[in-house]
Amino acid sequence: MSKKHWIALLVILLVEVGLAWKAPVLEVGLAWKAPVVEVGLVWKVPEENMAEKIGKVQQWEFKVKGHNVVVNSRTALTSFLVMGILIVSAAGIRRSLRKLPGRWQSVFELIVGFFDGLIRDTLGPGNRRYLPLIGSLFVFLWVSNLIGVIPTFEEPTRDLNVPMGCMLVVLVVVHASAIRAKGLKNYIKGYAQPFVVLLPLNVIGEMAKGVSLAFRLFGNVLGGAIIIVVISSLVRHILLPVGLSLFFGIFVGTIQAFVFAMLSLTYIAVAVND
Amino acid sequence: MDFGEMARYLGAGIAVGFGGMGAGIGEGMCAQEANAAIARQPKVSDQIVRTMLVAQAVAETPAIFALLVAFMLVFGETAGEGLVRLAIPLGAGIAMGLGGLGPGVGAGIAGAKACEGIGRQPHLSGLLTRTMLIGQAISQSTAVYSLVIALLLIFVIGQ
Repeated sequence: MSKKHWIALLVILLVEVGLAWKAPVLEVGLAWKAPVVEVGLVWKVPEENMAEKIGKVQQWEFKVKGHNVVVNSRTALTSFLVMGILIVSAAGIRRSLRKLPGRWQSVFELIVGFFDGLIRDTLGPGNRRYLPLIGSLFVFLWVSNLIGVIPTFEEPTRDLNVPMGCMLVVLVVVHASAIRAKGLKNYIKGYAQPFVVLLPLNVIGEMAKGVSLAFRLFGNVLGGAIIIVVISSLVRHILLPVGLSLFFGIFVGTIQAFVFAMLSLTYIAVAVND
Repeated sequence: MDFGEMARYLGAGIAVGFGGMGAGIGEGMCAQEANAAIARQPKVSDQIVRTMLVAQAVAETPAIFALLVAFMLVFGETAGEGLVRLAIPLGAGIAMGLGGLGPGVGAGIAGAKACEGIGRQPHLSGLLTRTMLIGQAISQSTAVYSLVIALLLIFVIGQ
């Protein structure tokens, strides 16, 4: 990576830490706080059964210099695990690239080739720069959803923050691409497009696209998990949970990750093209 | 007698009951036209099935929102005082249920015609899929409005 990229990464990290420091703790949704201790990190796991715990987010809360810092522990750790899996496998394949691909290389080539073709069809041949974003979104969300099939792991997309984060990235990219492609004045005029009275409706429509993108993924994953817990407790945990877990984890997980990536690509295409 | 609890369960039932209705019809329509399109052009069946799955996933979104609202109602706590305890959960349930009916059917109709279009003109599949997704995303915005109002009622108005 060039020096520009390192500087950009550093800026993003600083902004993120700054926001986490100063951001108010929003009480929306169900959060389960561990007790706060003034000396370093604390992580207590109260004994609750699975059904009560299902919608709650495990958190670490610690004080640094008098500020409360709250981290969703399980989400963050599993996300790092997913990222680790992706980075290690990508680096491994990269190191042993061959002209006649082996098994794993074929799988990776399939995925990259598929999205490359998709982007070429949707955005035209000169827009390959979006391939890393769309491909990474898909692969990250796909592996995140799949990791929930393994018994004690919880998929990070179960926490609303992860789909929201991905959605914010996509939203920034969409609007930045629109401004770059059309120019600031045309971009703003685009909101007043058929009639000027529709301006607030267009703005709210854009936000609604973002919200639906995040909540669709979150709802499918968390809803599937809750359904599995509820039905398992009815069937006394015999046989049915395995089938359901496979269906919701593998089938629904893959489709929702793909829909997220496809919709992001479509929004970018709309922003760049007209 | 705790009317709040009663209203919560009623609201959850209304939300999923009506919300699921629209998505069911919409997804069925997608499958219907996808089958007709495959019968017409068996060679593009991969393309058609992929588009059908994407269209169904998007058409199911209002039902997923309704499921989320129902979970929040069933597993949550009643908020508010007096008759408001009765109204908040029922209002949230009606908002999400009836509000999710329309977008589910609408997105399904859009997906159905896109699948049929791919059956008629396979080389336009990229353009058709893109137009379908744009149309579905805009038609789902009312489902998002319902979700926002339901969440507003449950989490903000009560306390």
